[in-house]
Amino acid sequence: MSSPDPQRAGVPSSRLMTVALVGAAVLALAGGGAFYFASQKAARPVEAGAIAVRVGAKSCEPMDLTVPAGRNVFEIENASDRPIEWEILDGVMVVEERENIAPGFKSQLTARLKPGTYDITCGLLSNPRGKLTVTASAHSEAERAKPPLKAFIGPLSEYKVYLALQSGQMSQATQALATAVDSGDLAAARTAYAAARIAYRHVEAVSGRIADIENAIDPIAAYLAGREQDPAFTGFHRIEFGLWHENSAAGLKPVADKLAADAAALRDRLKALKFEPADLAGNASREARRLAEGPIVSGDSLYAGDDLSEFAAAVDGLEKPVSLLLPLAGEASPDTAKAVTDAFAATRAEIGKLGGPGSAPVAYSEVPPDARKALAAAFVALADAVDRINPALGLE
Amino acid sequence: MRISSFASASALALILSSGAFAQEASLDLVEPIADYKIYVSENVAKLVEDTTAFVAAVKAGEVDKAKELFAPTRISYEAIEPIAELFSDLDVAIDSRADDYEKAEADPEFPGFHRIEYGLWEKNSTEGLEPVADKLLADVKELEGRIASLTFPPEKVVGGAAVLMEEVAATKISGEEDRYSHTDLWDFRGNFDGARKIVELVRPLIADKEADFLKTVDANFDTVDTTLAKYKDGDGYVTYDKLTEDDRKVLAAAVNTLAEDLSTLRGKLGLD
Repeated sequence: MSSPDPQRAGVPSSRLMTVALVGAAVLALAGGGAFYFASQKAARPVEAGAIAVRVGAKSCEPMDLTVPAGRNVFEIENASDRPIEWEILDGVMVVEERENIAPGFKSQLTARLKPGTYDITCGLLSNPRGKLTVTASAHSEAERAKPPLKAFIGPLSEYKVYLALQSGQMSQATQALATAVDSGDLAAARTAYAAARIAYRHVEAVSGRIADIENAIDPIAAYLAGREQDPAFTGFHRIEFGLWHENSAAGLKPVADKLAADAAALRDRLKALKFEPADLAGNASREARRLAEGPIVSGDSLYAGDDLSEFAAAVDGLEKPVSLLLPLAGEASPDTAKAVTDAFAATRAEIGKLGGPGSAPVAYSEVPPDARKALAAAFVALADAVDRINPALGLE
Repeated sequence: MRISSFASASALALILSSGAFAQEASLDLVEPIADYKIYVSENVAKLVEDTTAFVAAVKAGEVDKAKELFAPTRISYEAIEPIAELFSDLDVAIDSRADDYEKAEADPEFPGFHRIEYGLWEKNSTEGLEPVADKLLADVKELEGRIASLTFPPEKVVGGAAVLMEEVAATKISGEEDRYSHTDLWDFRGNFDGARKIVELVRPLIADKEADFLKTVDANFDTVDTTLAKYKDGDGYVTYDKLTEDDRKVLAAAVNTLAEDLSTLRGKLGLD
């Protein structure tokens, strides 16, 4: 691998040449090893149609460029007397960059650009920046309407990070809950319970679909033959029943220990899950409808009564995966993106209406059926809006 | 094949891409990219923690302690440079060099780690560094927040392995990065660790098809490790001027080969 091979054509070798050229300059200065790089200099490939940019002491030449969307190759010449870095910027974000181009040297940079307006840097940080306008092409228009699979890798990864962080917090909070229950500290147990529930609501769009764990963690008494006395009444609500209804942590230790173990198992199961692009909006919409049909109508936290803060947390959990698609949806269908954003705002406003004066949460038992119905309708409208995303992105 | 409707779009992408190794990007990348974000998040949390202590030493006028903390603090930044560098304003504020400024070291705009490095080593003093130190801490905290809300672009993550090696080759092997403190070997450690992490994360995706490639890459990383190990000093490294000319050549050759080889990684994973 130590001998240069100009036959490794295309993008990789233009990157290699940059390294080699600059490396050559640097090592020549450093006084060693230059022969290795010099031997590569001769093999420098010339990319047809490269866009020339000359960077002088004070500015770029030209200062204003227009290129079509897609793959573009730039050839940057450093005509100043200092080493320069050349960057294409989208706001403060670097789209592509080439570092340390030595004075008198040229360097190539390949960038895959979306339509839009970008800045280009021109030498010293104090120098004015140039402008790069990227115009739409047939290919970029096609990708806008139907993003390629790789456009979803980032959003899916980000959602997995979110699930890992939230389920990690849930696991920690359930451990704190078990510790507080064990020491009979009712106040600490209630605090840890609430923290664990918030994290749980954040992941419920996915965790709710893992049936065995869901049945262990979150059964409600109404679905069990023996209600609160049923041996299958376990998990969160069994603990909630003790901490609020019985006003005591007594006898909860085995339940809390089991919950902590199940939460750890949930974290591992979520990590192992694989998602398709359509799952991001799909799971969120399904969960919004489930909340509208059940918990919002009948209440989930019958003993603690803090359903409203849990529903607010649930909205955050629905918004995370959906927000990751909005940049793509905003390109493909601005109307859809706006409808989704508006629906989230409306749902939050509906919860806020029930929140009472100040930030004091209202017990859900105080929320009358009509208000519950209106809240459920907001969640259904949210689901309807979210359901527009997948078709807009060509995912159905 | 996960969703057949993607096949046509991907085929088009393949035709339009000039990469010789181009293939369809797979959702198998989701896992490595997610794990990489967690790695970067842990490193930037460490950077904030270490910078807090470093800045406190600078502000307390403790020159020796600040010198001691300089290199170990930077190592977390160097490991995550492919992501940290995406924020051009913060990269300038945290890690730019005197060359980027009209009046070099004398330029009042010269900020960040290297401005403090210059004061500590060239002037042996923390005089005038207090606002620079405060700004540095604010900037690394801002970086932590921005990373938390960034959806990592897969091509930047996978391409990051090569970017790290190219930077070492192009702008660091000469010893110009930490030109006042000569703590460059610490930075190298961070750069190599960051690059190797990326390779480790995508290894399962290419282990079968690219066994020879991985063997070569591993061998070069091992060469780097062996070479750097000779210069270990406690938890860190001796100054860069202690590096022999022969070892500098060994490192330069390994780094250049790594940069060349790793630049094909994006293409191998369908991300060109």
